[in-house]
Amino acid sequence: MATMQTFSATGEDAISRPVDIASESTPEPGSSQFYTYYEIDRTVRLIEEGNYKRIALQFPDELLHDSVPVYQALQPRLGPERDAYVLADTSYGSCCVDEVAASHVEADALVHYGHACLSQTSRLPVIYVFGRKELDIDSCVEKIAAYVMLKADESTHFNALELKHDVAFTHISNDIVSRLRLALGDHCSVMHVPRPDYTFPVPATSSIEHSKLPPPVKSEIVPCEHKIIVWIGEESPTLTKLLMTSSGKDIISFSPSSGILQPQSYLTNKLLMRRYALLQKARDADVFGILIGTLGVASYLPLIAHIRTQLKKARKKSYTVSVGKINPSKLANFMEIECWIWVACSEAMVDSKGYLRPIITPYELEIALQPEPEWTGKYVLDFQELLANAKLDSQCRDETGKNKDTTNDDELDPDQPVFSLVTGTYRHAKRYGNDSSNTKDATESPTQSGHLMPRSKENALAKMSDSAAIQYLHSRSYQGLDPRLGQDAPSVLEQGRSGVARGYADDHPDK
Amino acid sequence: MVNFTTDQVRGLMDKPTNIRNMSVIAHVDHGKSTLTDSLVAKAGIIASTTAGERRFTDTRPDERERGITIKSTAISMFFEVSKEDVGSIKQKTDGTEFLINLIDSPGHVDFSSEVTAALRVTDGALVVVDCIEGVCVQTETVLRQSLAERIKPVLVINKVDRALLELQIDRESLFQTFSRTIESVNVVISTYHDPVLGDVQVHPDQGTVAFGSGLHGWGFTLRQFATRYAKKFGVDKEKMMAKLWGENFFNPATKKWSNKQIDADGKTLERAFNMFVLDPIYKIFDAVMNFKKDQVFNMLEKLDVKLVQEEKDLEGKALLKVCMRKFLPAGEAMLEMIVINLPSPATAQRYRCETLYEGPMDDESAIGIRDCDPKGPLVLYISKMVPTSDKGRFYAFGRVFSGTVRSGPKYRIQGPNYVPGKKDDLFIKAVQRTVLMMGSYVNPIEDCPAGNIIGLVGIDQFLLKSGTITSSETAHNMKVMKFSVSPVVQVAVEVKNAADLPKLVEGLKRLSKSDPCVQAWIADTGEHIVAGAGELHLEICLKDLEEDHAGVPLKKSEPVVGYRETVKAESSIVALSKSQNKHNRLYVKAMPLDEELSKAIESGKVNPRDDFKARARILADEYGWDVTDARKIWCFGPETTGPNLLVDVTKGVQYLNEIKDSCIAGFQWATKEGVCAEENLRGVRFNIIDVTLHADAIHRGGGQIIPTTRRVCYAACLLATPGIQEPIYLVEIQCPENAIGGIYSCLNRRRGQVFSEEQRPGTPMFTVKAYLPVSESFGFNADLRQATSGQAFPQSVFDHWEVMNGSPLEKGSKLEEVVTKVRVRKGLKPDIPSLDTYYDKL
Repeated sequence: MATMQTFSATGEDAISRPVDIASESTPEPGSSQFYTYYEIDRTVRLIEEGNYKRIALQFPDELLHDSVPVYQALQPRLGPERDAYVLADTSYGSCCVDEVAASHVEADALVHYGHACLSQTSRLPVIYVFGRKELDIDSCVEKIAAYVMLKADESTHFNALELKHDVAFTHISNDIVSRLRLALGDHCSVMHVPRPDYTFPVPATSSIEHSKLPPPVKSEIVPCEHKIIVWIGEESPTLTKLLMTSSGKDIISFSPSSGILQPQSYLTNKLLMRRYALLQKARDADVFGILIGTLGVASYLPLIAHIRTQLKKARKKSYTVSVGKINPSKLANFMEIECWIWVACSEAMVDSKGYLRPIITPYELEIALQPEPEWTGKYVLDFQELLANAKLDSQCRDETGKNKDTTNDDELDPDQPVFSLVTGTYRHAKRYGNDSSNTKDATESPTQSGHLMPRSKENALAKMSDSAAIQYLHSRSYQGLDPRLGQDAPSVLEQGRSGVARGYADDHPDK
Repeated sequence: MVNFTTDQVRGLMDKPTNIRNMSVIAHVDHGKSTLTDSLVAKAGIIASTTAGERRFTDTRPDERERGITIKSTAISMFFEVSKEDVGSIKQKTDGTEFLINLIDSPGHVDFSSEVTAALRVTDGALVVVDCIEGVCVQTETVLRQSLAERIKPVLVINKVDRALLELQIDRESLFQTFSRTIESVNVVISTYHDPVLGDVQVHPDQGTVAFGSGLHGWGFTLRQFATRYAKKFGVDKEKMMAKLWGENFFNPATKKWSNKQIDADGKTLERAFNMFVLDPIYKIFDAVMNFKKDQVFNMLEKLDVKLVQEEKDLEGKALLKVCMRKFLPAGEAMLEMIVINLPSPATAQRYRCETLYEGPMDDESAIGIRDCDPKGPLVLYISKMVPTSDKGRFYAFGRVFSGTVRSGPKYRIQGPNYVPGKKDDLFIKAVQRTVLMMGSYVNPIEDCPAGNIIGLVGIDQFLLKSGTITSSETAHNMKVMKFSVSPVVQVAVEVKNAADLPKLVEGLKRLSKSDPCVQAWIADTGEHIVAGAGELHLEICLKDLEEDHAGVPLKKSEPVVGYRETVKAESSIVALSKSQNKHNRLYVKAMPLDEELSKAIESGKVNPRDDFKARARILADEYGWDVTDARKIWCFGPETTGPNLLVDVTKGVQYLNEIKDSCIAGFQWATKEGVCAEENLRGVRFNIIDVTLHADAIHRGGGQIIPTTRRVCYAACLLATPGIQEPIYLVEIQCPENAIGGIYSCLNRRRGQVFSEEQRPGTPMFTVKAYLPVSESFGFNADLRQATSGQAFPQSVFDHWEVMNGSPLEKGSKLEEVVTKVRVRKGLKPDIPSLDTYYDKL
């Protein structure tokens, strides 16, 4: 037994290892607040209306402790002909709907609990249960109204106010809006787009056509110059997203826990600047990794295909990588990749500070690949909008390209080095892909893999000039085992150390 | 008016023995550009009447406005010497016609990178020294640089008219002033003596020193006077020259030469130089300024100088100028001195080859350079980019060292990072046109053989600032120029409206091209940073950027300096970090690197590209390293070239070679963004003491090792008393005695330290030398002007990095405040991460 111990541990420590998760405090299971908090009645009603048979219940880690009580509350009401399943452990962010996990139980509907990014799904209808959080509506409305009035005195008159809030406040949003309208009167109109709490899938294939009709938020925008956006909620990725996508607008935030109202707009610029610096790094990269960060957001597949095409057109190498939740050591295993593109829901933006290589969003890639990157403050995180823009762009380019083709040709030497702002020097870009490729040929089939080829039968060496991995291998000092046949004298066997790496026998000699 | 044609010039280009490539170098305001005018006038490019005021080589409007040269400017000239003078040329020549390629360079320290670029393509230097101010800090700097490049100097003592008119000093004092200046130049020259170049000290009696006034357009060497007197005394010209300088006296009574000032009768004799050289000049000055016109014309007639009627009608200084210019034309004297004493490319490339070329001395390119062979393989060095009238395009300016360059054939364009046999930084392109640079004009020529300075059209987009162009596939690069200044002052620029951003990016590219020293990059915070040598340099760069290169309105931040992080002691304990999977451990200690070694790495003396055995030898012999350690240097960092080292001192660790690449990647990362303020590290040595690795290769991949190496480096730094280094300027201030008090108080307020204060012999002027932190230098010039009522003129040049007092880890210390400021500016958390973020317990 003792000798066994040196080769393998019992695995006991893996089970007893504490996992630190800040579980959210929720009402006592069984209480009536519990039922309201998890909206059991509404859930049951919607399931019955839709006549769904298998329902997946997706909990984030913070609410996992309530999963069993919720199941126990739901299942009896649903009756024996319907089954509910608790899904645990989402592969990516818990704000996204995990359709793949749901399809393992062949679910036809999914109930998503807790914070959600409300990204459009492509396969399942989703019932959102955000959890009802309370806040002091009186003080909130009072503070916001006072701020707007104060600003009006300081000659920045807002004639419109757009209310955004954390999803947990959805149940009281209408209350706040009407109270605000009352408080502000004619002074300022209040806009609010209600959060959907029940959505239907949009098939991914139709996504490009679908996007012709503009995204719902856009249509709501009233043409007015002085709009103020009010965010009710704590600092969260949703607020960051809001800041990123609304540059040039006034944003104030109200924190329900502390009751503090503060302007946030100044952060927008800083955030955008940081992303701009990342984008410059992306311009310097030749080998890209497309990181799959979601399986739930509709049209992620067309988007990935689009990214591949774009990269191929730009003569960059791309690899598609899926590693689940990302961390620096997972990504650092792919040392030949110079820049990552994180295809994930709009709230999962990664600050790549601790990472070896920059991580950018698809929109940033789009800009980075342009010959003259424009950075006007516009920022797109929505996949559909992105795809629609790209389509529009390519149409435009096709039209103008026909006229310009002849004049631009000699000006743009393909070998010409580019000025890299990261290093302040010239950089000679490596170019992957067929030399004689024209655009038509590059766009033809992005999914076709050019990396597999039949081995020639005569044991001939095939030269693969186009592989980034091979180029990287050549630049490494260690290129694999070196037989060194006959170069080393035979040596005497020695006693090594024993134990596992986490704790060798000689680590704590005093024990 | 030009007294030569492009064809003539082109003809001479084929005779490398009859070419002189030279730069004009000096301290600021010693009169380079003004003197250059005289030479340009001699070639007929400008009228001699405007010479001295025109400043032909100052082509930019702001150069004219400020009265300083900012960019170096090249000009090619034709000069013919008399048959008898050809005999005095000690090197091989062919005929009496000469081609002179002259580069006028800026004198202000902030622009010394321009001087470096000019020196690289020339073989000789005309060192101009103000006869009143003498040798100044920049004179010394440029002289040192030129000697390091094996460039032979000749000296011009300028502004002699001031000595005569303003100071009214007598002949003997003037002689003493001259000798002192020559002496101090020779002291500098002998300090940087190079046995290959030989003795290049300057001596008037050898004709390597000229005296004159650029403003008035007159000048002479002893050769001119020797020619006059040689006939009279019936002695050889060379012998006469020797007599005209130093302790040589002529006794008019006995008509005998003597080397003692007192003759046999106890009478004081007059020095020959004073008597034969200075006397006629003094007399003309005296006669003209005292309105004794008849006397003037009388003398001129004796001297064989003819004036036309209108010139005779002139009065005062104008008349003086005409007389002196006719009597002793500066252009002729200088050009003659240049042709006779400076080496031709054929001569110079023989001894300069080994300092110019990186490759082996016996490959075809090296042989081509050594022999200055127009039929050899092409080797051309581009030293800088000159803007064209076509916006955004540049002439690649450089010198052909071997072969002949012409439009048509494709050449190999090798950037500074090119490594022979690799494809990085290599382009194979044809040159569109070759042009002769003539100040602000260019003349197209068909081709250009070895030994000449040339501008190339159509390859600017492949090189940022400098590079090598060759036709040989085996050719290595020419050595990269080392600048005496570094871009230590930074400013963040921002466009006023976002739509202009692409223009700013393009503008920054053009700016980096157009200046050899400026750097532009983007910080992690998204700010565009422009870095220059000093406030003036940055001011000019930003003005160019705003008005010319980008052409959009910009917002500029206050200037800031970049710091360096370092360690002050060896890590108190061995730092340990575990990989994320806990299966690998790295044990590292950090320790300070010798300051001398850091400097050697920065100056390229110790180089990552060197052979590791040779490098180990140097480290062992000169820096006291253990040879085994020195051989196991894994890499330099940051950017694989910086002054930090990763050394493997482990014993018998298995699989260690496998993780080397990962460790290097982590080390590069850690040295680029240090633990305290995410500034570059400087002068830190990391010893990898021990490594424990998982037996399975999959568990010790890059993903596990890279972040761990970074963490262990940070932990090691935190355990090794981290410190911050700041850049320090060496400031030299010239002032009269009564201004010294103001200087001291001004420096004290800014943490400056005076380390030398000397009176300039023979003048009331003092020279104060001090160290001043760059971060305290902003606005120093204006402050000093105010404190001394405009009497003190400072010149600041980056000198060294100095460790700041205190520890950034100490709460409430001054240094912590500095670090916090940097961190906040970069958008980081204000506090330095604690040790346990990086240090893992066993």
